[in-house]
Parts: sequence; structure tokens; C-alpha cells
Amino acid sequence: MNLPTTNTAENPAFVRARDLELGYRTGKLAQRVAYPVSFDLYRQELTCLMGPNGVGKSTLLKAIMHQHPPLQGEVWLGDTPTGRLAEKERAKKIAVVLTEKTPTGMMTVRDLVALGRIPHTGWWGQLSPQDQAKIAEVMEWTSISHLAAKRVSALSDGQRQTALIARALAQDSPILILDEPTAHLDLSNRFEIMYLLRDLARKASKAILVVTHDLEVALETADKLWLMNANQPLLTGSPEDLMINGGIQRLVPGDKWQVDAVSGKIVRSTIPLACAIEGPEALVCWVKNALRKNPELQLPASIQITASPFEIKATFAKSYCLFQSISEMLRFLQNPPATENPFLK
Amino acid sequence: MNSFLSPRLVIVLLLCAGLWLINLSLGSVHIPLNDLLRRLGGIPFPKSSWEIIVVDYRLPKSLTAMLAGIGLSLSGLQMQTFFRNPLAGPYVLGISAGAGLGVALLTMAGTAFGWHLLGSAGGYWSVVLAASAGAISVLVLMGLAAWKVKDSMTLLIVGLMFGSAASSLITLLAYFSAAEELKLFTIWSMGNLGNTGWKELVLLSGAVFLGLVPAIFSVKAYNAMLLGEAYAVSMGINFQRLRWVMIVSTGILTGSITAFCGPIAFIGIAVPHLARLLFRTQNHALLFPAAASLGVVILLACDTISQLPGMASTLPLNAITTAFGAPLIIWLIMKRSFSEEF
Repeated sequence: MNLPTTNTAENPAFVRARDLELGYRTGKLAQRVAYPVSFDLYRQELTCLMGPNGVGKSTLLKAIMHQHPPLQGEVWLGDTPTGRLAEKERAKKIAVVLTEKTPTGMMTVRDLVALGRIPHTGWWGQLSPQDQAKIAEVMEWTSISHLAAKRVSALSDGQRQTALIARALAQDSPILILDEPTAHLDLSNRFEIMYLLRDLARKASKAILVVTHDLEVALETADKLWLMNANQPLLTGSPEDLMINGGIQRLVPGDKWQVDAVSGKIVRSTIPLACAIEGPEALVCWVKNALRKNPELQLPASIQITASPFEIKATFAKSYCLFQSISEMLRFLQNPPATENPFLK
Repeated sequence: MNSFLSPRLVIVLLLCAGLWLINLSLGSVHIPLNDLLRRLGGIPFPKSSWEIIVVDYRLPKSLTAMLAGIGLSLSGLQMQTFFRNPLAGPYVLGISAGAGLGVALLTMAGTAFGWHLLGSAGGYWSVVLAASAGAISVLVLMGLAAWKVKDSMTLLIVGLMFGSAASSLITLLAYFSAAEELKLFTIWSMGNLGNTGWKELVLLSGAVFLGLVPAIFSVKAYNAMLLGEAYAVSMGINFQRLRWVMIVSTGILTGSITAFCGPIAFIGIAVPHLARLLFRTQNHALLFPAAASLGVVILLACDTISQLPGMASTLPLNAITTAFGAPLIIWLIMKRSFSEEF
């Protein structure tokens, strides 16, 4: 993609690796988890790492964090390999939000965020005015200033996740790594958090890498997707490109499922419905959705849908039935009364 | 996180000073507070016997109480934060069980093996030496285990097993020992602050100081550990070093205190909780001084009670620490949503 407007000269990859071999070493035995893994993570971009469970996403994160160095190869932060940085220096480069349960305790939100300053403070952890200013700033960025004095135990899941992100921001690192930050969150919070991360990538010029299983939200918010599959190189690109060139289908290996090319949703591979359905498009699509979910149903010959009043007319070989809702129709199709449908005997 | 000189800490420190004076004043012989304060100002006591009572007995005893209060509370605090377990205490790594085994071998193995160590000179010192030897052996074993095992939960279980193994050996020794020896050991295991003279106090304070220094330099690391090992490492904390700090610091503190005072119950587990609940904080920069001063307050109070003011006899220390401490903790736990806040 040699677009003339590309600004890679001003925005070089901040984290990069070539042909990493990820895995575990127990004694002299090395067990490979993923190979080859190559990537570039850019500042000002929100990148989502996706892939099935057990494919080595967490191992990749740990390799970048250098908590679990790769078996082969090196991860470079700017122009230094991670392994050559002292722990404290690395902590100033990479901040994380992890999946593990954080103790709530009687810590206030402000205390939690202040923990992010640990790599910057002296041995006693005394906060300087600059530290205080940074803490106030990141709480403002994440709009949790009003929660500052609240106990962490009193927060909702979404607020707690935001507070943990604020803690990572307080670490003032160019790289932010988040492991499933939207798991367990409700729909709107999932979008809120991801849009917040997207804004932060721009505003604070951070390279943000998020592991997520949430395709819908990732398509909506990510600048780049990294798709990870067993024994294949990492597939990277903008979500839109991956949708168009079909690369996104790697998320759902096998024939059973596929990513719908228009909606970006994961659907059952379309079995053509042996039933003609007519009516307004928005209604037809949901009736089809309901019928596809229940492939065991005996389908009528044709279905006509009218919008207002909403009505479904299912025509069988000899008779027809009217329904006021989709669930009513499904109920009927599940247990067709013998008297009304003599042909089903 | 900058509330180091919190008003609550000042109150607790004042309480420390007050209880210290009361502790010096009360006992089988009552010495009025006025005379004590005057003695501090340089005016001698009206009775010369008071001078001996205070300087040779009560003063070293109260200082021992302070050292033990500080050391045990801070051991417990470190363990609870490190293992992220509210039930961890200074004895979970088996250090004091090791000390107990040392003392049990000394006092009770006499009949079994034909030793008569207690009959020789320096009975108290041989107890201290035996307890230290036991504590150090377990500490070395724990060090070897920690070197081999990297997971902290496994380490905790290994420590508990060392403790259980030592206790079972003690039980065996107790079963075969003579009644007199058994009583000696039982009395040791009840805890006693009054055995330390000035010479012992110098040694004990040296050991406590040695144990406290690495802990104090790890305040920040313990704060990071509140979020767990992975977060702590991501914030640049050297986890392996913290692990050694925890093992060595709590080993020296509990080992030395158990050697000189016996296994003092309750303080190590309960005082850190008390500090968290009363100071409403998780910040170790405040929790360290808070737990240390509360440890002093509680142990001084328990010691004052155990010496039964106005009577000639004393009560075993552990009976007091537990009898007054356990209800206090139950009350605190019932009062606030404890499990949510740990």
C-alpha cells in the first residue's frame, strides 16, 4: 500500500518484531505456541488483537511486556530491544490493564490511579506535584474525576475498568496494552471504553493494543486488526481492508460460521432457506434470522410480511396462517397442530 | 497517598506513649505516674527499690513489648499483602514452629535422648539459641523452597507444611517427655515478654532493626503488590527481590521475637487488619507506621493486663492477647464489610 499520503516517516512503528517464536520453556524443553509472529504497532493507533482461545494472544502480550520473553527473536521498543531495558525503564514504556481480579479494598479511585505513578516516584513512593498533576489529568481524560474519593469496591464494572485504564495512563507510557478490557461489560460500556481508548491513542499519541473477542466493537473502533491463528503468521491490516479481502474470515475457521460481509456480524454459514419470503427488507431480514436459527423447523411454502400492522402470513400447501409476532410463528412451526396442517401428517 | 502524618497516627502514637507510662507504673508494685515522670526529668525515685524495679525489669520488658509489637505486626502485614491473603500471618511460613521445635528439642528431648542441657548454666540463653537454631533452619529450608518454587501460593502451602511437620515433631516429643519438661515447654509456648534483660534487648533490637530495613525499603513494592504480581511487575517492581525481602524480613523478625519471647499469638494476624480498618487505607507508606504503632499499643496493653496490677502473680501473655484481641477483631469485622474491603 504505497499511498502517497502515508505518513510512516513521521510515525514509525513504535513496537516492532520480526519472526518471533513464542512459547514456554520448562527446563530444557521448549514448547512452541506461535510462530512466526511479526508486527508493527504504531503510535496514535488503536490496534485490536483477535483470535481463538489458546492461540497465544496472552503469550504475545507477555512477550511484548517481557514478562515472558520469546523463545526466538526480539521485540523492539523504538530502537531498543525490550530485554535490554531495566525493569523500571520498561515500566515507563509499557502500561497494562490485565484480566486478573484486582483487590478492591478500601482503596479510593484516586489511590488506585496514583499506583500508576510507581515507576516515577522515589523509594518511599512520595508523590511530587508533577505526579499529582498527572493523576488529575488522566482522571480528567477518562472522566472519572468525580469518582476520585469513591472506594473502588463501590464502583460499577464499567467504572472500575475505566479506573484501571486511568491507572495505566498515569504510568505515562507511550504503549498501552489491555487484555480483554470489555469482557463482562454491558453493550454501551463496551463501546464507551473502546471509543475512550481510540480517543486516547489520538490525543495522547499512544500505541494501544487491545485483546478482544468483540468483533462488532473492534470493527467499529479499531485502526488496525491483528488476527492470530494457530501456526499462521499474524494477519494485520485495517478492519475495513480485512473485511473486503476476506481476511477477517480467519477469525471463524471451518465452514460452520462466517463473518457477514455486510454487517460484520458472525452468522451461521447461510443455508439457502427453502421458502420464499416477501415484504419490507428490514422485516424480511429478521424473519430470515429467526428461521436460520431454527433449521429444524418445517418451513411453509412462502411467507408474506406486512409492516403496519405487523403481520406474517405463512402459506402452506393447502392453507395459510396469520401471526402477529415472529415468536408466535415459531411456536406454531415447532408444534404444528395436526388438524390445521393435515399435509404434515 | 501523602497522608503520612495523618491525625489518627498522631493519636495512636500518643496512645503508645501513654500506655508505655502506664505499663511502667502498674504491676505487683504500683509506682505513681508522677514519680515516673519526675524520674524521666532527672529527679530520683523516693524509694530506691523502685529504681531497680523500673530500670532492671519493667523498662526492658516494655521495650521488648514494643519491639515484638512492631516486628510481628509488620511481618503479618508483609505476608498478607504479599500472599494477598487475609489469613496470612507471621507464622505461616513455619518460622515459629521451627523455633518451637528447637525449644522442644532442648526442653523435652532430655528423657528421650538423655540430654540435660537445661541443668547447665544459662538456661534462658540456651532456650534463645535453640529457638534461633530452629527458626534459622526453617528459614533456610524456606529459602531453598523459594529458590525452587516460583509460585507464591505453592510457597505458602510449603510454609504451612513445614509448620505442620515441625508441630508434629513437637507433639511426639511432648508425648514422650516428663511432666516437668512438658510444663517448661508449655510455659515457653504461652509467650513471655519478661525474660529479656538489657543484654538480650540489645540483641533483639539489632535483629528487629535488621528485619525492618529491607521491609521499609520495599514500601512501594508492597503498594504495587496490592494489584497482584503481574501488575507489580508491569510497574517495574522486581518481584523476585520482593519475595526474598519478604522471606528474609519476616524470617528475621518472627524468628528473633519468637526466640526471645516465645510464639506470641494474635498480634501478627490481627494488627494489620486493625490498621487497615482504623486508618481506612491500603497505602503501605501509612500502613507500616500505623500497624507498627498499633502493634505497640496492643502488646503494651496486653502486657499491662497480664502482669495483674496490684497482685503478685502474672497471667500467660497469649491468653490475654487472644482473649482481648479475638473479640475486638470479630467486632471490627462485623461492623464493616470486611471481606469486601480487604
